[in-house]
Amino acid sequence: MVLAIKESIANTFGFVKNEVVGFSRSRMFYYVLAALAIAAVVPLFTSSYVLSEVLTPMVIFTIYASSWNLLASSGQGSLGHAAFLGIGGFASALLVIKLGIPPIIGLFVGSVFSAVIGLLIGLTCVRLKAWFLGMVTFGFSVIAVTIISQFDAVTGGIMGFRTPLIVERGLPFYYLTFVFAVISVFAIHLIMRSKLGLAFRAIHGNELEAKMNGVNTAKYRLIAFVLSTFFAGLAGGLYAQSIQYIQISIFEPYYSFLPLMICVIGGLGTLEGPIIGSVIIVAIDRYLPGIDSALQFLKPLFPNVSFVGPPLRMLFLGLFLIVIVVFAPKGLTAFIRRAYAYFRGKLVTVKEQ
Amino acid sequence: MFTLSGIVETLLWGVANGCIYILLATGLNIIFGVMKLVNFAHGQLLMIGAYVAFVASTALGLNAYLAILVAMGAVAVIGIGLERFTFRKVLGTDKLNEIFVSLGLIYVFENAAILLWGNDSQRIVSPYESLRLSLGEVAIGYDRIFGVLIVIAILIALFLLMKKTKIGLAMRATSQKSDTSMLMGINIEKVYIFTFALGAALAGVAGALYGIIFPFNPYIGALPTIKAFAIIILGGLGSIPGAVVGGLLYGIAENTAVYFLGGIWQDAIAFALLIAVLVLRPTGLFGEKGE
Repeated sequence: MVLAIKESIANTFGFVKNEVVGFSRSRMFYYVLAALAIAAVVPLFTSSYVLSEVLTPMVIFTIYASSWNLLASSGQGSLGHAAFLGIGGFASALLVIKLGIPPIIGLFVGSVFSAVIGLLIGLTCVRLKAWFLGMVTFGFSVIAVTIISQFDAVTGGIMGFRTPLIVERGLPFYYLTFVFAVISVFAIHLIMRSKLGLAFRAIHGNELEAKMNGVNTAKYRLIAFVLSTFFAGLAGGLYAQSIQYIQISIFEPYYSFLPLMICVIGGLGTLEGPIIGSVIIVAIDRYLPGIDSALQFLKPLFPNVSFVGPPLRMLFLGLFLIVIVVFAPKGLTAFIRRAYAYFRGKLVTVKEQ
Repeated sequence: MFTLSGIVETLLWGVANGCIYILLATGLNIIFGVMKLVNFAHGQLLMIGAYVAFVASTALGLNAYLAILVAMGAVAVIGIGLERFTFRKVLGTDKLNEIFVSLGLIYVFENAAILLWGNDSQRIVSPYESLRLSLGEVAIGYDRIFGVLIVIAILIALFLLMKKTKIGLAMRATSQKSDTSMLMGINIEKVYIFTFALGAALAGVAGALYGIIFPFNPYIGALPTIKAFAIIILGGLGSIPGAVVGGLLYGIAENTAVYFLGGIWQDAIAFALLIAVLVLRPTGLFGEKGE
């Protein structure tokens, strides 16, 4: 039993094992354990600000980005995932408020609701190529804004409202999201290792060849879409609780582009990519504003803006994204792996001498 | 409250707005047809075009309509830079990479515009702003009429370029089969650069016209891109006549929706239309082959 779990966790990184350089599986098991331990212990020693504004978002965006990553691993790039984040958030909160069901059940029902909407949208667009799927999903996120604000009497989306909590904020909520994140990432790992994941990868690799080998590509792409929107809805429900407030701004393109950024910077199509990416992006988002005042000396160059920092940071984030895509298309994960292999190789040669 | 003159005016405005979308969609469509590349940052080129025309007309004191030429040239140069330094690197790799690069470009352009020109809305003041052509109860500004005429002139020029010139022939050949055209002695890289510059120039003109008709700010780029996409899908991929008809239909549909349903539906109607077309007729109204 223990061995089975160990094997299973060791395989956590299995779906990219062709690209794994220098990591052996048994070692992998300890890395995963170490990562889990760090994620579980660190919050005990941080301030409540760091806990609720930095660590919790990191964990929630890991779920969100993983859901996007799952979709991308079947070759489909969504540009409107915020729609499902928002639907999950609104549905789970509204169900609790209007029907009085327990928040934890509301969270699940909200995720399922998001997946149902995902199924309907998916039916229209899974046959489309990457760009058009991106367009339709983006379009859907705009329509979702209109619908939510049109039925404001029911949704209360324009002004927003306080979301009911499952557990109190702070440590309990962090551990709740942490458990959900571990379950989600592990579930996605199992999906990617199963026949389903094989079909996704086949479709991503070459759709025509996948079709020729008897893969019902439309069906599997739809399945990927539904699964992805389920996890996005889950992330949305948790996110609405973490900021204790939900408003129509959750549908903004910022939230649609966020998982994409996270996955690209972390490493697309890998299990750890969304985790590393969320840590980096949330850290940038929370801590980089600290240099804004330092950047203010550039103000004379740009007389039309009062605060130079925020746009300058965003500009460099865009450049960073382009540079990553052009020069390190596999993301930082691949970079870390290569560095690890390089240093390990050095160690081994030193020992041999 | 819905009067006949109101409806006629709505249609005319729809045509005028449609013209801006036509330019944007045609540029996007040419780039897609020849390079099989989708530039999601195309609307940001429109936004940059509007600002270039704004600078040309305020700082240099040019007539608003001469400023269009400046915008066209400047954005074409930006387009060459984009093709050369970003898109060429990812062309032929994973399709998602093009989306990622475009997304990076959206961030770069929007924030560069904020840094240079600030967050506030600007507009290009046209000398004919107060002039209106009135036909009975219906009145339409001269600027919109000029806009339509400019777009018609550009489309005719584009048609001649594609059908009568050597580079047009090379572009059409490349769009059919890039490998074979390379074997026939066409310099594909040059064709790509020209195509991208052409598409960007059209976006620049669209931006200048947009700036003359509407107020603009650094964030206006995103929605026009999506609308141009909707138009391309509506009209059929790679089909320029399709983009023209699609653009007109789209502009009219959008304005009609605003007139009858209210402003909140302006953007949503676009996507409802887009999704409906994709479900009912995935190759578009005039498309021949599915992509």
